[in-house]
Amino acid sequence: MTTPMPSAESLKAFEEDLNQIRDEALAKVGKEDADYIRRVVLVQRVLDLGGRAVMVAGFYHWAFWVLGVAMLGIAKIINNMEIGHNIMHGQYDFMNDPHLNSLKYDWDGACSGGSWRRTHNFEHHTYTNVIGKDRDFGYDVLRLSDDVEWKPLYRMQFLRYLNMTLMFQWAVAFHELHGYILRNMRNKREGKAPTDNSELKADFYGKALKVLFRDYLFFPGLVAIFLGWPMFWMIFWGNMAANVIRNIWAATIIYCGHFTGNVHTFAEKECEGESRGQWYYRQILGSSNFEGPRLLHIMSGHLSRQVEHHLFPDMPSYRYNEVAQKVRAACARHGVPYNTGSFGGQYFSVIGRILKYSRKPKAQTQTPAAA
Amino acid sequence: MNGQIAQPETTLSRFHTWLAQSLVNNNEFFAYFEPFIRLAMPAWSTVGVRSRVMKVHSETGDVYSLVIRPGRRWKNFSAGQHVQISAELNGTLYTRTFSISTSPDYFRKTGLIELSIRSKPDGRVTPMLKEHFAKGGVCTLSDAGGDFLLPEGNEPLLLIAGGSGITPFRSMMNQLSSNSLRDVHLLFYIRNSSNALFRQELDRIAELHPNLKVTFINTEAEGQVCEEHLLRYCPDVADRIAMVCGPTPMIQGTRNLLSELGLPADQIRFEYFGAAPIEMEMTGEKSFVRFKTSGIATTTTPDEQMSLLDLAEKQGLTPQHGCRIGVCYQCVCTKESGVVFNTRTGQYSDTGKEDIQLCISVAASDLELNI
Repeated sequence: MTTPMPSAESLKAFEEDLNQIRDEALAKVGKEDADYIRRVVLVQRVLDLGGRAVMVAGFYHWAFWVLGVAMLGIAKIINNMEIGHNIMHGQYDFMNDPHLNSLKYDWDGACSGGSWRRTHNFEHHTYTNVIGKDRDFGYDVLRLSDDVEWKPLYRMQFLRYLNMTLMFQWAVAFHELHGYILRNMRNKREGKAPTDNSELKADFYGKALKVLFRDYLFFPGLVAIFLGWPMFWMIFWGNMAANVIRNIWAATIIYCGHFTGNVHTFAEKECEGESRGQWYYRQILGSSNFEGPRLLHIMSGHLSRQVEHHLFPDMPSYRYNEVAQKVRAACARHGVPYNTGSFGGQYFSVIGRILKYSRKPKAQTQTPAAA
Repeated sequence: MNGQIAQPETTLSRFHTWLAQSLVNNNEFFAYFEPFIRLAMPAWSTVGVRSRVMKVHSETGDVYSLVIRPGRRWKNFSAGQHVQISAELNGTLYTRTFSISTSPDYFRKTGLIELSIRSKPDGRVTPMLKEHFAKGGVCTLSDAGGDFLLPEGNEPLLLIAGGSGITPFRSMMNQLSSNSLRDVHLLFYIRNSSNALFRQELDRIAELHPNLKVTFINTEAEGQVCEEHLLRYCPDVADRIAMVCGPTPMIQGTRNLLSELGLPADQIRFEYFGAAPIEMEMTGEKSFVRFKTSGIATTTTPDEQMSLLDLAEKQGLTPQHGCRIGVCYQCVCTKESGVVFNTRTGQYSDTGKEDIQLCISVAASDLELNI
């Protein structure tokens, strides 16, 4: 069930504490953050180019192929998580760098930058976990709370979950168009005119063609020209494996940020005209963190600090770790639940949630069949 | 940073862009390799020409000159033109426009140019530039631009400079001294005799070249530009082409005077000096907001402040936008010049060209926006 919202007055002091934490961190933003993200970009480029090159040496020994795939997979993860996601939030706009700019950046993934900014930056970050508004809560595919009516189809949702994890970049890319298609199906039922989605379709197919061309035609073909036809398939499958590695990792990180057992949902009505403090409160209860070494934070794009990211989406990710301690202390002071745990613990809690809501609710079982 | 000139789209350029987007997720291939190139050449950039600041020397008062050796790709310039210099200060790339104060002839001989800059104590960038380049360093230069040039032909000229508005005229006078017998009279308005910029240099030019005349006018003793001055120092003013550069009110006043004295409009050339950074003042008065792309302009009233997004929409414009609370970054737009107040951080922006979020920005001075 959705969580009731405390009054704006009761959250006033909490709001001020969090504003202060934000201001202190933003005052420090500068060269250190710029140098950090540039280093990350450089490492990503080395892994990207290196991975594609090492994979070619697979004709010599299969171990090179495995190494190349791993490098390319990691490059794609860093490109999407620590660089792409955070750049597109405007976290590094302060640098005024034309290639690290929130509006101009595009990433190595099937989802176009424009679509991502609309669905993720706007819908998801503004209406986080508001049922009916934040389509990221279950993606209109999974049932993750009893706010969604149970249907027999949800019995199999664990398989849907597996499928979505493997194909994650396509799920993200299709997300916005999917919403329009669902809406048009509703419109049709209600006899209303459909919403035009031709632009979204063009956007979707345009970007899809670009990523498919690169990974499954250009690079395999380039290598095949020099080393012969069998190499085409070696690079083809290598690129696909790298994409799948990225898909699994990205999906897992993102599920751990919003679908853990203790994450709360909210009703649309309660969020109307909410204060900044109430917004903060909702962001904290709608997100979950996990703990680990620095490398894990970087590889997750600092979404291991999902709570802090949702409070301050445009703060450079480099600052999230130092801010997290302060946010946690503020939550403890004001009695606001702060959701964190080990990576494994949070992951199993997600699986638990998916399984829990795939089962038919007991209340419904007791209701006698309607006449 | 506008090193790029819009070129007509051809099938080939469209394919090139598509291929770059597909392979490196950017419109240009160089952007992908930028981090590698920077390993060898720090501060190398895909836009503008990497150049070296050799040294900084103080001129009179609070004015200093940057001595710059432009990179090999930098094209030549004409006397009176300006250039954009970009430098990274504490992680942020700042771009400012300044007139080149040395002559093209000097550049041909030495490979050097100078930018003479007034350091405003309350300015953000001009004092930092001086400090940053104290021991030299790397900057990025745009190609020279501007049409405040010596008129073709051999008609006599009247140059009227106010304060640091002397910089384009210093370039012109030096250029004229090397190859021209043109009759030129420079009226230089200075606050007092002790802070006349380039006094010795200008005196020497006048001494050596009877056709080049320089008159210093002390505004503390003699007041601002007036009819009496013009007629006393330059009785044949109506037969000359007048060129004016200095603070905004001085230019406006002088233009009116000159047309009253019978100069037709095409005989009056002027350059509003200083890309706004130097002249900008923060007042509670009306601001003039120009939407460059759509060619619409409007004024804001201080008692009825609204976000630039609201202001644009009130003018019938429809900039891309989302959350309207500063979260989603869909309404980011390029501000060409002017100061905005960020309602979320409570801070004033920088005065130069940068990206801003329309929904949380309020005009704090005259603005030019790329909408």
